[in-house]
Amino acid sequence: MPQDANIQQRRAAARKTAWLLAVVVVAIFTTFVLSGVLGKA
Amino acid sequence: MSSIAGNPDTHSHDHHDHGHAPTGLARWLFTTNHKDIGTLYLIFSLIMFFIGGAMAMVIRAELFMPGLQLVEPDFFNQMTTMHALIMVFGAVMPAWVGFANWMIPMMVGAPDMALPRMNNWSFWILPFAFTMLLSTLFMDSGGPAAGWTLYPPLSLQTGDSFAFVVFAVHMMGISSIMGSINIIATIMNMRAPDMTLMRMPLFVWTWLITAYLLIAVMPVLAGAVTMLLTDHFFATSFFNAAGGGDPVMFQHIFWFFGHPEVYIMILPAFGVVSQIIPTFSRKPLFGYNAMVYATASIAFLSFIVWAHHMFTVGMPLQGELFFMYATMLIAVPTGVKVFNWVSTMWKGAMTFETPMLFAIGFVVLFTIGGLSGLMLAIAAADLQYHDTYFVVAHFHYVLVPGAVFALMAGAYYWLPKWTGNMYSEKWGKIHFWLSTIFVNVLFFPQHYLGLAGMPRRIPDYSPQFADFNMWSSIGGFAFGVTQLIFVGVIIHCVRGSKAKATDQVWEGARGLEWTVPSPAPHHTFDTPPVLDHATWEHGNRESH
Repeated sequence: MPQDANIQQRRAAARKTAWLLAVVVVAIFTTFVLSGVLGKA
Repeated sequence: MSSIAGNPDTHSHDHHDHGHAPTGLARWLFTTNHKDIGTLYLIFSLIMFFIGGAMAMVIRAELFMPGLQLVEPDFFNQMTTMHALIMVFGAVMPAWVGFANWMIPMMVGAPDMALPRMNNWSFWILPFAFTMLLSTLFMDSGGPAAGWTLYPPLSLQTGDSFAFVVFAVHMMGISSIMGSINIIATIMNMRAPDMTLMRMPLFVWTWLITAYLLIAVMPVLAGAVTMLLTDHFFATSFFNAAGGGDPVMFQHIFWFFGHPEVYIMILPAFGVVSQIIPTFSRKPLFGYNAMVYATASIAFLSFIVWAHHMFTVGMPLQGELFFMYATMLIAVPTGVKVFNWVSTMWKGAMTFETPMLFAIGFVVLFTIGGLSGLMLAIAAADLQYHDTYFVVAHFHYVLVPGAVFALMAGAYYWLPKWTGNMYSEKWGKIHFWLSTIFVNVLFFPQHYLGLAGMPRRIPDYSPQFADFNMWSSIGGFAFGVTQLIFVGVIIHCVRGSKAKATDQVWEGARGLEWTVPSPAPHHTFDTPPVLDHATWEHGNRESH
């Protein structure tokens, strides 16, 4: 496999990792705020 | 040392720029290059270090003698709050991200960070966040004065400037989260083919674990300050007891973020020291695998000890016991690390260049901070220590001769690689010795003040505390002035000292970053390097 293609593949995998982590961040934030809101309800 | 086989291409890649690279301000505004962004982070954090340091000087000047001399009590409280926020979020954390940007791609054989444009954004949020935070000092209602912990109900008494504080914290958090996502993606996806996880340099390992900590806890802080914001401006009562809210709940949420935050500042320091000590001992790191597992253990334990910050708030006995023992447990992996650093030095062919001096200073003085932490972990004794200068002494030992010394060590260690010039060893050593003397004059007396009962965050105190406070202030002023030497050494080195750095720089240095020329070219490892044994020899089992 040419090295450039390899780099492109790795960058694509990195973007997937980044999106996954972004979803985790939003989930944690939402969980904490929602638990505060529901706790008050 | 020859670590790259058949990759002459890896050395200089300026041909990729084709002469179109932006220059001047545009270069720095629009850069997506990890080295440029690393430099921006490091310069920014140095500026913040001096702004936060100036605030510390105001604090120490006021505390030089009993009575109110220089500033109003409310402004004093703004200084303690802003000093902490700036040092934590503006100086130490961005400095580590700067090191990560510069070194991680080079250490793992990647051409750049995984997401270069987001990398640019991560940095450029920060100047706006801190301009906004600092601007509150000039507003009618003044800056935040409730301490960096922003405990309600006191923090909710801040005026309208509180919105700026909360948004500034949000922006810092977004910057940190984007930086961590980039670091994780780079380490997990961009490593050179032969760079397995257990061949990674310790600095990369500690940053990987730190980045996961950041991902886990920054959203928690964001949630907590958002709830503070709505309590303040939208009449909610998350933490307002009068409306049925629970102010202690804020403390739990804050410290669920706050304790891992302490390790976010110190784990990369462990990584840097684990790079430097083997280099100047001319031996592989003792117990590489144990170091990785100890770092992971510390990170895990950091999530289950948060309530040791609030023993006095009133908890069930079982809760106090759990948090006390869990906290004490952290001493085990930390002890493993200190043992391994000392064992690395044992029978090594040691030399004592400035990075090594700062690293050894770190090991000794950080351990003092760790031991006072064990004292504070004892729930029964904490009733005496809590909210006294003993706590101030403890965390400053961990953060100044701890995290900041490791930053200094790392800066001296990699400065020749960054600039292509050797720094002045004579002035580096003067900087080390004066810093070490004055940091102890500054913080050691604060242990005695705390044990004698002097509370923290007050502008005035009883006359019996006068002598130790005077010594502490003298140490503070001298430590502050000493840091100007550091700036002088950096400027001298960047502008080009007579001594040029070789590619390897240090005789005992191992790792991919030492295989590229000094100064490191704008682009490195466009073609993944091929690793040989010497490059990844950290002392792990595979290497024997």
